[in-house]
Amino acid sequence: MLSCREVVNDADQLLDGELHWRQRLSIRFHLLICHNCRRYVRQLRMLIFAIPYMHQRASDEEVSIIMAGIVSSEKSDA
Amino acid sequence: MNKDKLERLKNGDQGLFAELVRDHHRALVALVTPIVGTSEAEEVVQNAWLKAYKAIAGFEERAQIRTWLGRIAINEAKMQLRQRKRELLFSDWGNQDLNSDPLATRFAEDGHWQNPPTDWHVDSPDSLLMGEQLADCLERLLTEMPTNQRSMLEMRDSSGLPFEDICNELSISASNARVLLHRARTQLFKLVDHYQETGEC
Repeated sequence: MLSCREVVNDADQLLDGELHWRQRLSIRFHLLICHNCRRYVRQLRMLIFAIPYMHQRASDEEVSIIMAGIVSSEKSDA
Repeated sequence: MNKDKLERLKNGDQGLFAELVRDHHRALVALVTPIVGTSEAEEVVQNAWLKAYKAIAGFEERAQIRTWLGRIAINEAKMQLRQRKRELLFSDWGNQDLNSDPLATRFAEDGHWQNPPTDWHVDSPDSLLMGEQLADCLERLLTEMPTNQRSMLEMRDSSGLPFEDICNELSISASNARVLLHRARTQLFKLVDHYQETGEC
């Protein structure tokens, strides 16, 4: 049977859908009996969903600079 | 983004485009910084926004907008490198920090948890990384993270680029890319886990 360390090492590939069905089965079996690994996999999944939100939103000044560049480019194209 | 907003965006609504800039600009700067360096990242992303504005009418709704923007920004970064006749900055790709697992000390010798993860009390994924103090810790962690790990995290998890595309773009093996992504994610996991348990970094 897999150890918890092995489950943690393979959890990324499990969540990314990149494991062979035999490996998936081994992990699923481990997860049935190990609540710590179930928690790890559940929370890792949540973390991966959260990563796109980890950057702060741009400031007004940053947005203004970008939009001014766009407006200026449009004028020179016209 | 709903269909109505997307249509307005594709028809050149500058107010909505400015919101797009507000939501994604810093992620794009983070995405290209490992490729062109901090001093040129802003200029590259500024050019990427110009290209995106001109091409937004052709945006296909089956793609994620962040992924679409990310591809434009990476192409722009690579063009910048070609124009300046420079190589990718990743001289250390594939061999940096592959042997240290951030969660190694959490396991007993038999490979089972000695110090298992704490139970996170979070309503939704988008609020998980939002705490003000956590945001500061996260910023510090990302700044200190090895360049290659940070890039994998930005490209795969933040921008949603397909794994194979990243390996091709950066000429690294799938196995090395996997290890780098695993290291980056587990560092982040460790940070959030500690924060959830103690309220501190």
